[in-house]
Amino acid sequence: MNLLESIKVSLSAIFSNKMRSLLTMLGIIIGISSVITIVALGESSQKVIDEQFEAFGAGFAYFSINWRENYTIRDLLTSDDIDVLKSTFSDEIEAIVPSIYERGTVKSKSQKIDAGIYGGDENYIKIEKVDMIEGRYLSDEDVKGKRQVCIIDKEMALEIFGRSNVLGESLDIEIGGSPISLVIIGTYEKPKTTLQAMGGETIGNVFVPYTTLERITGNGGFYSEFEMSMGKETDIDSLTQKIIRLIEKRHGNEGENKYMVQTAEAELESINKVTGVVTLVIGAIAAISLLVGGIGVMNIMFVSVTERTREIGIRKAIGAKRKDILLQFLVESVIISGIGGIIGTIVGLSLSFVVSSIIRIPPSFSIETVIIAWLFSAGVGVFFGIYPANKASKLNPIDALRYE
Amino acid sequence: MIKIENLSKIYNTGIVSVEALKNINLSIEEREFVSIMGPSGSGKSTLMNILGCLDKPTEGIYELDGESVQDMSDDELAEIRNKKIGFIFQSFNLIPRVNALKNVELPMIYAGVSANQRKERAINALQKVGLEERMHHNPNELSGGQKQRVAIARSLVNNPSLIFADEPTGNLDTKSGNEVMSIFQQLNAEGVTIIMVTHEFDIAMHTKRMIVCRDGKIIEDKPVENQIIIKKQEVSL
Repeated sequence: MNLLESIKVSLSAIFSNKMRSLLTMLGIIIGISSVITIVALGESSQKVIDEQFEAFGAGFAYFSINWRENYTIRDLLTSDDIDVLKSTFSDEIEAIVPSIYERGTVKSKSQKIDAGIYGGDENYIKIEKVDMIEGRYLSDEDVKGKRQVCIIDKEMALEIFGRSNVLGESLDIEIGGSPISLVIIGTYEKPKTTLQAMGGETIGNVFVPYTTLERITGNGGFYSEFEMSMGKETDIDSLTQKIIRLIEKRHGNEGENKYMVQTAEAELESINKVTGVVTLVIGAIAAISLLVGGIGVMNIMFVSVTERTREIGIRKAIGAKRKDILLQFLVESVIISGIGGIIGTIVGLSLSFVVSSIIRIPPSFSIETVIIAWLFSAGVGVFFGIYPANKASKLNPIDALRYE
Repeated sequence: MIKIENLSKIYNTGIVSVEALKNINLSIEEREFVSIMGPSGSGKSTLMNILGCLDKPTEGIYELDGESVQDMSDDELAEIRNKKIGFIFQSFNLIPRVNALKNVELPMIYAGVSANQRKERAINALQKVGLEERMHHNPNELSGGQKQRVAIARSLVNNPSLIFADEPTGNLDTKSGNEVMSIFQQLNAEGVTIIMVTHEFDIAMHTKRMIVCRDGKIIEDKPVENQIIIKKQEVSL
């Protein structure tokens, strides 16, 4: 008996027990569709993360003192270091600033608002990207002159002044207990990125010249960290290694492992690792339901074999060999799982489209997932069908014919 | 055609062993029409199963068409059953889900006959038993006699040299039973060897040779005198 005949026989058996076949398939449908949904959503969020990094973090690196090692003032970074780096790697480095961040409180008429105060320079916009609405960004003169100017986001402007055109107004701010008044020279659109939403960033950010911020806090000249952004074509790994070697040379602490570097790429990798693990774990849980579905197929195949014991006897009496019977039941199990897999794939993909439209991430459809799901469901059919089919093929024709 | 020598069959249930057949010797020639009779427990069904290659003897020699079959594997026996033997059972043993035509086609599927040829030969076989008009009916839409005729058609499609019938009239009324016996007599006249198990003397009287079993042994083996011949017009096929 060839495969085509086996398929015909199996289909007629499946259709003669429509309800039972459908319920058996349901197990596979639920299993496959949940696996597909999870994997597709995992892929979608992966894509979103990648895109966000592409937009905001590519070519970004963060240098700092290696906190795990002891360090002295000799090891701290200086503004001279920054100037040397700027001139040595002028082709590769787009922007480099010491990383200075303070928490502050902005006073309005009625309330106090928490704000993050970032020190920057004229190139800082390349590191911390903002969309200017009105006014101008920080300039070289602002930095050199340690001017008391700042840039705030539109929402903070609305909150404090009740309007958005606030250029020239003064912002009263308290940093580390010392109050200061800054002139607003520009406003920007608060970015609404998924990443920041994930981080729960709700307070406003104020940008001031880093020299000004140093003067306010009073600890200028030495830095433990700085941020930089590089051109898109730069080989980030080799450049950061060169920079570390240069700084070590300048501080006379070569090979003492005093500095470390974090890049957006490395962070992306670690985030991808996390999302990958999460997808894997949820996927594994979903796969358990597929396993349960598979056991359902096996169970119903056993029922089918018992129910058709006599038929098996008849087939054997008129010349069916072991492999003919084996193939017949195996094909039946694979067809049940296969059809279940196809329906499950369709359900799973539709579900992932619905969910991604609800949580506003672009849907993801990969043909690999679909092929793997189909192969997997067929595999479930073979795996859980082989035992009942083998049992059927081993039946003794005389006993099978006598079976009532 | 069939030659068995010193054939024994012992069923071992673990606690007791039952000797169902004891040292049987028998030969059946081509074109014979034989009935095997005997009370239940006489070993006639066991003999039939072994002759039909459904079961293997514990000891002894069984030659079918000059081939020793007692040591063949299950799959080799399946092929012999498929090519050389046709079976007819008391309870018809048709597959309930498929129609008469498909039931008759079944042995040819396992013989690897092409679909077109299968259909043609199945229709021919159904014509032979007078059922071509009912070939698209499922077994539950057929009477007992019709079912048995489908079963006969099925047993014939691979042109076997040997047909085994196990109580073929046991579930039929007299009229249908006569029809079946008439078909057997016609087939036998055309050259098919038929071996039939029955416990009804009247039915055995339709055959040419009668073998009687008791307690695992053949106690009587004689030609049938005054064989009942059913004339064709007595049966409306």
